[in-house]
Amino acid sequence: MSLAPTPKTRAASAIPATAGVGLRAQHYKELISTRPNIGWIEVHSENYFGEGGAPLYYLEQARALYPLSLHGVGMSIGSTDELNLDHLNKLARLIARFEPHFVSDHLCWSSVGGDYLNDLLPLPYTPEALAHVVQRIDAIQDYLGREILIENPSTYLQFLDSEIPEAEFLTEVAKRSGCGILLDVNNVYVSATNHGIDAEQYLTAIPATMVREIHLAGFTVNRYPEGDILIDTHSAPVVDAVWSLYRTAISHLGPRPTLIEWDTDIPALAVLVEEAAKAQIILGEASVRAA
Amino acid sequence: MSALRDIQLGFARAVYADQLGEFSHAIRPGRFPAERHLQVYRNNVMLSLTEALKAVFPVVERLVSAGFFGYAADAFIRQHPPRSGNLHDFGAAFADFLGEFPEVATLAYLPDVARLEWAWHEAFHAAEHAALDLAKLGAIAPQAYDGLRFRLHPSARLIASPYPILRIWQANQPDVHDGQAIDLDQGGDYLLVIRHATDVVIEPLTRGDYDLLARFDAGETLSQAAAEVMAAQPEFDVGAALRQHVARATVVDFAREPFNYANQERP
Repeated sequence: MSLAPTPKTRAASAIPATAGVGLRAQHYKELISTRPNIGWIEVHSENYFGEGGAPLYYLEQARALYPLSLHGVGMSIGSTDELNLDHLNKLARLIARFEPHFVSDHLCWSSVGGDYLNDLLPLPYTPEALAHVVQRIDAIQDYLGREILIENPSTYLQFLDSEIPEAEFLTEVAKRSGCGILLDVNNVYVSATNHGIDAEQYLTAIPATMVREIHLAGFTVNRYPEGDILIDTHSAPVVDAVWSLYRTAISHLGPRPTLIEWDTDIPALAVLVEEAAKAQIILGEASVRAA
Repeated sequence: MSALRDIQLGFARAVYADQLGEFSHAIRPGRFPAERHLQVYRNNVMLSLTEALKAVFPVVERLVSAGFFGYAADAFIRQHPPRSGNLHDFGAAFADFLGEFPEVATLAYLPDVARLEWAWHEAFHAAEHAALDLAKLGAIAPQAYDGLRFRLHPSARLIASPYPILRIWQANQPDVHDGQAIDLDQGGDYLLVIRHATDVVIEPLTRGDYDLLARFDAGETLSQAAAEVMAAQPEFDVGAALRQHVARATVVDFAREPFNYANQERP
């Protein structure tokens, strides 16, 4: 008899309010052989859209060891093109096979006229865009037969037409569509800095009950004569200011599953595990307070 | 047309066609000129797609230098932007693009090296398949073999080139510093790219093996394929070759009817 939990119990249990790391290809073997003390893992769904081979082989093994979250970067939720059913089909196939605890993507668009830009592009925060995004998330959740989480993006420009603050827009999307929120604290910091918004005010405007997951990452700074633009590159440790904002978020929301993301200049797995341990300490303090 | 769609079309044009135009009026004036805000996105898009190409075509990059690769990638991305949110599909047209890119016309072997790297990439992500079921083949009367169509492993890709592209590929792997000159006139290659478990390998083939596998891949029956191959090379032993490709799991299935590849990701 196998000691492994049956698929049903795997899928039913939620990810605990612990710290996890984003799993990338260079860490497959080390993660599986050393089984670091982290609460869960998250992967980019599209990296597993292939038919077979190493990515799916290693994800299968990692999934047997850790709770899993599937994080998408290519659904193009806010696009005015037709919903990409081929993309949704591949995601549905992945969900059926790996039974993730969370499935998420971004409050953004990335394609128009059939051309994809492979980036998380900003939406104008208008009533039109709100209705459109809600209708798209409805369709996606119906298709997948489950809740998805929507993440606030880092943005580098604002539209003249935008009339709804992002936090309010995101909250309204979640309210109307029934999706959950994946709150990226680094993205809040990056966007708030870029646009001169109050980051703490942003955080506290998000209703705690809607937030299922938190992301943390590092950014880079582009310097121009007029000032700096922060770029969400996932290429560095989490900065002190974002740790501090994370503490604020946790005290407002309560403990939430928290992910360390790193996608460029990816360091040794131990560095990610160490970052996760820092988040775990903050989560632990919050749990003690909550008790 | 909706205001949201207008913004998205204007944004995409501003990124891929470098035309900010009317779209600049959609951007809220801030600390920076509109162009600066847009430039951040243009950089993100071009950089991430260039990185995606570099990951699939590292040998091409090494052959032309990182700087030139970036230049070629920029032109390619604008002409052939991705058509899906699945980046595994991106770069299929890169080899043909290089074949028509005037700046690399003197590197005649470059498109075939790119084809080899794309085949490697496809093989890496292709479906799994068990080896051929010999019991199933044993149930077929030998006189019926001629009408069978043999199917290659889903990861199998066949590449023929008048240039020694395998030697070029091997000499330009990351950990290899092979200073020896490669004689482009040393003869071409017939290659099989295939995945065993999770490992992609590139195997040189004889002309006869290449032709046989290519005819199987095109859906010909054993007798059709054998007749064609042996017309060109009368001494080629089709039976021995078939047994070998079954044993090595290059040939993994057979049927009397043509295979339907409709649900398969084939080039």
